[in-house]
Amino acid sequence: MTRALPVFSIAFAAIYIACVYWNFALVTYHPQLAQWGPLVQPPRQGPAMYWYGWLMTSTLGAGALAALALALPARALDRGCAILVWLVPVAMIVTIAYILRGYFLR
Amino acid sequence: MFSFLLIIHGLAAVALLGALTHQTISVLWPARARTGSFVSSLRSVPSMTYTNAIIALFVATAVMGSIIYPEYRLNIRPTLQDYRMHGAEGAFELKEHVISIGLGLLPAYWFYWRPANAKAHAATRAIVTALLATIVWYGFLTGHVLNDIRGFGA
Repeated sequence: MTRALPVFSIAFAAIYIACVYWNFALVTYHPQLAQWGPLVQPPRQGPAMYWYGWLMTSTLGAGALAALALALPARALDRGCAILVWLVPVAMIVTIAYILRGYFLR
Repeated sequence: MFSFLLIIHGLAAVALLGALTHQTISVLWPARARTGSFVSSLRSVPSMTYTNAIIALFVATAVMGSIIYPEYRLNIRPTLQDYRMHGAEGAFELKEHVISIGLGLLPAYWFYWRPANAKAHAATRAIVTALLATIVWYGFLTGHVLNDIRGFGA
């Protein structure tokens, strides 16, 4: 059962960055109003926060993929995860830094 | 309330930083023999015992950060935008995402630190630990600098 944990981490990093890029948020928080809303909502008064929603989407998606990965042969899963578990998060950090490059190039 | 949580958040981050840095040094640069020197002691800490504490501290720090995050969006980010401090604003945006990836990495980190995986996955464990340490150092330094820009209680 625990051998699916590295799959969760790999999937979480990839799904999280996809959520940020395409804004797949399960919930939206409106901090000025202290109100939560389902899925992606436009700002009402003040900013809308999607970060909590991205975390929820990523957790659910990564959990589902980790459960599916249990059907794969243990040895192959073990070998693949040993590299992907750090390679994917590093690649995702580089990707998000590239997406945010506008902040640093102004 | 916000200032109190911010201080506790910072203190938890310091504890996390210390534990994770110790563990990373001991796993990347293990001591062959303990000579009694400071550096040797640093390299020979029983790193496996740090794992659960690091996970608990990471989660607790992130939860506190998520509680005070709306305050940043409402009162601190607009100040950075007003002063056209885009680099600082971008650094915090990056912190938000890097810490999220770190949170997602915790299950794998726990898995590779299990005694059963000690020999078979030593390299993976070392890289994952170093990556987590890099994430925490980045988050800590960015949060610290952002706090310095805005000023405590301002």
